[in-house]
Amino acid sequence: MQTSIHDSHFILRRLHSLFGLIPIGGFLVLHIWENGQSHLGAEYFNYYVAQPIMHTTYLLIIEIVVIALPLLFHAGYGLVIIGSGSAEPFRYRYRRNWLYWLQRVSGVAIVAFLALHIGLTRVAAWLDPAIYQDLFGYMQQSLTQPVTLVVYLLGLWLSVFHLSNGLATAAIAWGLTTNAAAQRRFGYVCLLIGVILGSLGTHALIGFLP
Amino acid sequence: MTTQPPDVVPESADLILNRDPLLAFELGNDDSLPASSIDQIDLKIRRQDDPFSKPYWQQFRLPCQGKETITALLRKLRNQPVTIDGETVDPVAFDHNCMEEVCGACAILINGKPRMACSALIEEFNGMITLEPLSKFPIIRDLIVDRSRMFAHLKRVKAWITLDGTWETQQPPLRMSPHDVAVNYLYSRCMYCGCCMAACPQYDENQEFVGPATLAQVRLLNHHPLGQYEKTERLHRIMTVGGLSDCGNAQNCVRVCPKEIPLTTAIGELGRAVTWQLFKDLFGD
Ligand code: HEM
Ligand code: SF4
Ligand code: SF4
Ligand code: FES
Repeated sequence: MQTSIHDSHFILRRLHSLFGLIPIGGFLVLHIWENGQSHLGAEYFNYYVAQPIMHTTYLLIIEIVVIALPLLFHAGYGLVIIGSGSAEPFRYRYRRNWLYWLQRVSGVAIVAFLALHIGLTRVAAWLDPAIYQDLFGYMQQSLTQPVTLVVYLLGLWLSVFHLSNGLATAAIAWGLTTNAAAQRRFGYVCLLIGVILGSLGTHALIGFLP
Repeated sequence: MTTQPPDVVPESADLILNRDPLLAFELGNDDSLPASSIDQIDLKIRRQDDPFSKPYWQQFRLPCQGKETITALLRKLRNQPVTIDGETVDPVAFDHNCMEEVCGACAILINGKPRMACSALIEEFNGMITLEPLSKFPIIRDLIVDRSRMFAHLKRVKAWITLDGTWETQQPPLRMSPHDVAVNYLYSRCMYCGCCMAACPQYDENQEFVGPATLAQVRLLNHHPLGQYEKTERLHRIMTVGGLSDCGNAQNCVRVCPKEIPLTTAIGELGRAVTWQLFKDLFGD
């Protein structure tokens, strides 16, 4: 009998779950916190938030190894997992079943949002390095268009939902919460985490508006 | 009954330890149930003549009483299989056996949800009742499905206890605490009806997932005084394709299980056991 560490299916599933939390989940929290400093004004943001990031050593390697690759793996394998299930949210209208379904819907939506988000920021800045000189101004210009703002708000709340619900399911998968009562309790903790992260992110987005 | 289950025992232990509502019901003096006055009922049944033909719907109207079960209704229908349009048709094929919700044979979809037909009372439903074969399993005929893959799943996870081993079989049985007995008893009531599998979004004919009931049996046997000796092997068997990590935590299983088996607790406990096993496999015992 093969043991678990030789079983690629098991290892892939666990890596998918782990990557969702660290580094991707961790990065999302950091990213929301960073952008919360939008409230401190254009000068502060450009000087203390944008510049230090741009001048981080090994930035490209960190971005690729810590963010891009894990995200690509999580998203790619996530799509495979979505293909293997058949959610029936209207036949079984239970809360967890809706969360199961929304976890999949939000996953697909996040792929679309991230393509747009990365396109508008990272890729745009590659093409036009001047954007980084006044990142705040660029974001302000972007977000004053109502469509962009709504898309960003949606992307934010879907990502935050996906992370906090993922935290609750990861806790079951890894065996942190074993019985039904603990799973319910931790579910509320995750809800609270989600609401806090979502509010911080919304606050950050508002901070960019004139 | 005065015996209370210990705090940590899942709520469904109440069902075993407290039989008062059941007794009241059997004696016919349960006030919580309304007097039944239904005298006829419409049934809409999804039929299929053989595994390969197309399904079709037929409608029937039958005299009945509210306290009758769906199985009783199906038995009645067998005697007089006449549709609502007056056409005499082949009797509807269906499975049943114990008639007391312990054998697991009669699981079907009632109004779209998996239920045991022998314990579903007509008065629980309003208006026409829709009956379909249990989802996720190949149909043999009408309401009869082939659930043999559940047996294959049990074999796959080694859901049995090896009696012959390196220990003396004439030794006195290993002791279990009353608490462990109570908890294990919850899982031992599984009748392999397949309701939980039918409701699980991760379980179907095209997937390898062994399903919640099978996982719960791993939980049970791994806590059995003799079964625990093969704990590691069972864990390894669910740490692969079709195993524990194919569960997506939709938790429909626990909602539809007619025996209220704490499936999600089993899945959580197995999650922890499997994580430990992973560390053991990685770093050694
Ligand atoms: C903001 C970026 C993302 C974060 C922070 C994130 C985080 C997480 C976390 C923590 C989990 C829980 C893992 C578990 O239950 O064990 C999870 C699950 C999942 N993620 Fe993501 N994820 C992100 C993006 C995506 C994307 C782009 C997809 C692509 C479709 C995706 C698809 C999934 C799926 C399908 C699951 C459920 C897995 C299962 O139930 O077995 N995620 N995610
Ligand atoms: S766990 Fe419940 S629903 Fe599933 S097979 Fe056993 S008795 Fe049926
Ligand atoms: S909790 Fe897991 S086993 Fe139960 S219905 Fe959901 S996916 Fe299926
Ligand atoms: S006939 Fe045995 S469970 Fe219904």
